[in-house]
Amino acid sequence: MKKIKIKTRIWVMMAGAVILMSIILNSCVESQKVAAKGGAQLWAENCQRCHNTPSPTSFSHEQWTTIGMHMQTRAQLTDKERDKIIAFLSQ
Amino acid sequence: MAVGIVFALASLLTVNIAKAQQTTVDSTVINRISALEQQVADQKPGESHFMVVGLGTFGYVSNKITFTAPGGIGQSIKTNSFADADHYELSPMLIWRHSNNLLVEFEPSFDGNAIGVNWANISYFAAPGLIIHGGYFVVPFGIYSKRLAAGWIDKLAGDPAGFDMPGTDFGIGFSGGLPLGDMKWSYDVSLTNGLQLLPDGELQNAGIVDNNKGKMVSGRLSLLPFSNSCLEIGASALHSNAGDAGSNFTSANVTMFGADVNFVKTFNPFLVNIKGQYNRINVTNQNYISPVDSSSYSFANKTSSSFAQFSIRPVGVDNKLLKNLEFAFRYSNYTTPNSSAWGQNFHEEDYGLDYWLTWRTVMKLTYARSHSLSTANVNIGGTPGITDTNSIYLQFSVQF
Repeated sequence: MKKIKIKTRIWVMMAGAVILMSIILNSCVESQKVAAKGGAQLWAENCQRCHNTPSPTSFSHEQWTTIGMHMQTRAQLTDKERDKIIAFLSQ
Repeated sequence: MAVGIVFALASLLTVNIAKAQQTTVDSTVINRISALEQQVADQKPGESHFMVVGLGTFGYVSNKITFTAPGGIGQSIKTNSFADADHYELSPMLIWRHSNNLLVEFEPSFDGNAIGVNWANISYFAAPGLIIHGGYFVVPFGIYSKRLAAGWIDKLAGDPAGFDMPGTDFGIGFSGGLPLGDMKWSYDVSLTNGLQLLPDGELQNAGIVDNNKGKMVSGRLSLLPFSNSCLEIGASALHSNAGDAGSNFTSANVTMFGADVNFVKTFNPFLVNIKGQYNRINVTNQNYISPVDSSSYSFANKTSSSFAQFSIRPVGVDNKLLKNLEFAFRYSNYTTPNSSAWGQNFHEEDYGLDYWLTWRTVMKLTYARSHSLSTANVNIGGTPGITDTNSIYLQFSVQF
């Protein structure tokens, strides 16, 4: 009986954590000022947080798309930042 | 009348010939277009993509190491060599973009002694702000190991002491970056095999086969409070069972805390870069066995490490030589447990002058000066004394 109670409590806690996480993730909205930023500005602001800003001519569009995914795992870029920066670098 | 009929027949014939020619031309063009379309289709990469990038670091180092025993006179040793295991690396990075939601990364590395693996990881981009990954990866803790350690990123030749923990481990993780109005925040958490407590109280990664049933939970939360992302503040925490199952260390737990800051902003014409991190490791009290006489001893197993780094580069000047120069300074501190077999108070100052050949290729000249005071327990085999080291590095590093 005690085991069942503990298991129930764990499941409730996990469900609560998932719901809380979903609420937090969905409530994360960018301001109009941030939403209006273009790829060039985001490229200049974000890449240099760790290294020099890369030259757009260094890689092809396909390569930039792959590198963008890699950099998102490293620097926790938002999805919109990643997409805009890739679009700018691929021009 | 006859002339009219002949003219009509001639016109009809001419139109038919022209139509026939048009049809011939059209079919030739269509065939050519079809062939080109096929060629384009053959070349089109689709969603899947594979590429090889990587990094290489090579250089020359000159050391003067002076050891002074208590009450004694300093004894110096000088060494000069092309590179060494800490300052040489060739690491190709293989990246597969399996689809727009799946990324596979593998980085083998040669450090002069052996070929190892820096990471081998599969990431699934599940939703905006949510990446789920599994494999062998850099444990999320602070910013140095995951973001700044690569030779072509690090502005100084060496790594600050004490930042090799928690290192790389096997497990799963979740990460993401999310907007928050004008601000931005990110999270990076993982569940991995964890750390292993060694007989002298030091820590190392347990490896691919866990040494106990407990797992390590670690994570980092960060906030970028300004809309231009110039400042990032991070906090990290970790907890792990560390003792081998069935050993005297079964109850051993490791807790780590960390804080980091990253500030990058242009004050025309200078690009200013300030980075720092503080790590603290606490291991629950254990009884260790002396290698000298097999007696039991204990000590407060607490380790701290920190660094503060400043660099400045005149990116806004017209002179090409000047705009590619960067001056960097780093102070680092590493304090290991007093009365352990490996206790020391260590600090180091690094002065660097870098020349950026391209955005990802750098030539570094670094002067490093360190001072280490041993706080080791002599009764268990520790070596007392002071070690002073002066080093000059000339290092070339490239991302390819």
